[in-house]
Amino acid sequence: MLPSRLRERLRGLVGDAGIVDRREALLVYECDGYTLERAVPDLVVLPATPEEVAAVLRVLAEERIAFVPRGAGTGLSGGTLPVEAPVMVCTSRLQKIESIDLANRRVVAQAGVVNLWVTRAVAAAGLLYAPDPSSQTACTIGGNVAENSGGPHTLKYGVTTNHVLGVELVLPSGEVVSLGGAVEERVGYDLTGLVVGAEGTFGLVTRATLRLTRAPEAHRTFLAVFDSVEDASEAVSDIIAGGIVPAALEMMDGLILRAVEDAFHAGLPVDAGAVLLVELDGPAAGLDPQAAQVVALCTRRRAREVRVAADEAERALLWKARKRAFGAVGRLAPNYCTQDGVVPRTRVPDILRAISAAAERHRLRIGNVFHAGDGNIHPIILFDERDEDEVRRVLAAGREILEACIALGGSVTGEHGIGVEKIAQMPLLFSPSDLLAMTSLRAVFDPEGRSNPHKLLPDAKVCVESRAPRRQAAM
Amino acid sequence: MAESEAIDGVVPRSVVEPATIEEVAAAIRDAAERDLAVVPRGLGGHLDVGGPPRRADMLLSMRSVSRIVDHQAADMTVRVEAGCPLSRLASTLAGAGQWLPLDPPGSEATTVGGLLATNLAGPLRASQGTARDLLIGLTVVAHDGALVSGGGRVVKNVAGYDMPKMHVGALGTLGVIVEATFKVRPRPALEAAIAMACASPEEAGDLALALRDACEPLWLEIVGPDPAGSSGDLGFGESWSVVAGAGGVTEEVRDALARYAETGGARVLETEVPEAAELRARIADRTLHPLGATIRAATLPTRVGAFLGKLSRSAATRGVSCRVHAHAANGVVRARLDGGESLGALVADVRAEVENEGGNLVVERAPPGVKRTLAAWPGIWGDPGPGLGLMKRIKSTFDPADRLSPGRFVC
Repeated sequence: MLPSRLRERLRGLVGDAGIVDRREALLVYECDGYTLERAVPDLVVLPATPEEVAAVLRVLAEERIAFVPRGAGTGLSGGTLPVEAPVMVCTSRLQKIESIDLANRRVVAQAGVVNLWVTRAVAAAGLLYAPDPSSQTACTIGGNVAENSGGPHTLKYGVTTNHVLGVELVLPSGEVVSLGGAVEERVGYDLTGLVVGAEGTFGLVTRATLRLTRAPEAHRTFLAVFDSVEDASEAVSDIIAGGIVPAALEMMDGLILRAVEDAFHAGLPVDAGAVLLVELDGPAAGLDPQAAQVVALCTRRRAREVRVAADEAERALLWKARKRAFGAVGRLAPNYCTQDGVVPRTRVPDILRAISAAAERHRLRIGNVFHAGDGNIHPIILFDERDEDEVRRVLAAGREILEACIALGGSVTGEHGIGVEKIAQMPLLFSPSDLLAMTSLRAVFDPEGRSNPHKLLPDAKVCVESRAPRRQAAM
Repeated sequence: MAESEAIDGVVPRSVVEPATIEEVAAAIRDAAERDLAVVPRGLGGHLDVGGPPRRADMLLSMRSVSRIVDHQAADMTVRVEAGCPLSRLASTLAGAGQWLPLDPPGSEATTVGGLLATNLAGPLRASQGTARDLLIGLTVVAHDGALVSGGGRVVKNVAGYDMPKMHVGALGTLGVIVEATFKVRPRPALEAAIAMACASPEEAGDLALALRDACEPLWLEIVGPDPAGSSGDLGFGESWSVVAGAGGVTEEVRDALARYAETGGARVLETEVPEAAELRARIADRTLHPLGATIRAATLPTRVGAFLGKLSRSAATRGVSCRVHAHAANGVVRARLDGGESLGALVADVRAEVENEGGNLVVERAPPGVKRTLAAWPGIWGDPGPGLGLMKRIKSTFDPADRLSPGRFVC
């Protein structure tokens, strides 16, 4: 337990409104979107300004207390799970968009600003913030920076790191450093590039300078319907190999389609094996020839129908169905978890076969809704957490799927992060010298290892086995 | 050793030319044992970039470590060794209708390793980004000879820290780059460009942004008048010019050029310049081989016109010849400043101007004598900002004995 003296010092900095310490209120913070492991923090601190964040971190530094940063808690790898870190520091009250510079296409946003708010703030000027994770109505810029988040449209527009020009970082010592900025060149090492995706292990990001993108003038959005997942994945390969860069190229399989259709009535073909959601964007002039090419390629792979969104409303409905697919899955089983592996794009058919084999082997239902154009899979494994044997099978299947991604030349995470979930796979992806370099870099920013300890990097102290009892206790 | 092997006037004691990555690692282990400072070299096209080395005992020629290891055309990725010239990589990719859309100054004399170590970018950055945006995996040899990799072979990957970014632009001060994996893109079916003339750099700055807003350009350059001749090195005469490039299928290129022509109105010089891609490369190359120094300034796009005005007036006042171009959509200006006694004062003056507005200005390249003078004052790099303390810790962590290109970078 934390000494009450420390609690009162922190309360003095952020006020009563910024402290959560009642047991029942703390339960909200026991996990993020990754629910297989849970741990309740001793104390949650919610600073209201970047200056308060720095003050809180200075106190924690003086007291040598480890902490966990948290944004909206939509993360999917357990990055905000408290592991030997009693204090959670939430940035959700840092909600100001501090400046908007339309002519230069820059925004400075505080960490707690919700992703979609940025686009809303600049939409009237024909601009947008390109990274669009499915959770964009809830997830925050701070969380996006920590995880280097992606989204469907990153196929053409890139992920978070391609759109962050600078960050203000509060180091675990409490020192505030402003890295990068509004201009495109920097002097010195690319510290901003290192902080993005560091999963909160370098300290807490309080502000970010974001690059805005021009909103596309026109879209062509199609739904290509296939009888089999194999045909759909071959079509994905053909489109990429055909030199087309769609803005998005997403796949949903039959199981997901039926759940989504039940939830949203988007007119999806519930008897299909798989659908591809393909979007082309840009100036209208170039779109039609490319659209014709996409339709031809899908047809050649035996698409039984290629439906074109007739207007913005139909396009919005298709995207709603896609982005809320995870939520719709809640109808199918009490619990689900998802994986985030990546394979070279031409290996999508191979990994889908491996997923389906794992489902069969472990007697599980697994649906697929994912960023096919990037080779970034999201198998959704359905289960009931009250069934201990089933939970064990879920974990085993998840591991096998990730290891299949590695065997195919891929990675274990495309956008969700390592967190606690995938630490065991890090040594399969990286050599001891690779991991040592990462550990050394971490020590540059956080020599005491107090910012989000036991995440991302395997360490001797917390191994998978020692976490297992907690996992059991939680379920 | 021959003078031709000198790096900023420092002649290395030995030149080693390994044939494989393993041999690079062995050379670095050997250097570590004998406490030799190592400076890697590709085609030698950019050895004048960066600060003068404090020591250069071993010149590590990477030209034989140059295989294209794995081009997966259907995955749109390519893995290549550091010594591979960009031109050879480009031919391979072109065979599949693809390109690595990075066009640094001196592209013909640039290797993959040189591109990454210098982080040089050219006109295409307006639409394609820079090396950091296309690099998906990197292997370096660390100070002790260990092979260290980060990233991977897939286009989307957040496993572990983004270690490759640490080495981009680090001028070999944290490790010797030996192999890189990039995502590549389909090469546009057609590339074309339109040129316009403006009466002043300020007008050119405004016009460039109007063109950007009319239609996202493939590239967008402001080109200053050529101080050397009335017809100009690029044939645009004595005016300030704006050149916008478009790429894609025929329909979109025609549409873009029409919009640019409408925006430019009477200022249009040529509705379609011949050999657009070649012109783009000539613009990128126009600040190479300075007699004085080539500077690179980064400011906001809206301030490019005013900065170009200030720079050209200051240069004229001081009797310095200024050949300049700007990546207008990115706010990046490059100028070759030749002649004049007061080059240092000019650099200090214009640097203060951009730094006051949150930008930066570096001396990108200069002949050895000039560089040593500028390094003493006003400095090659200017103010690295509040991250300097962290940068020094990174350097001392990854190169504790200061043997990797010592003195080349900010710390």
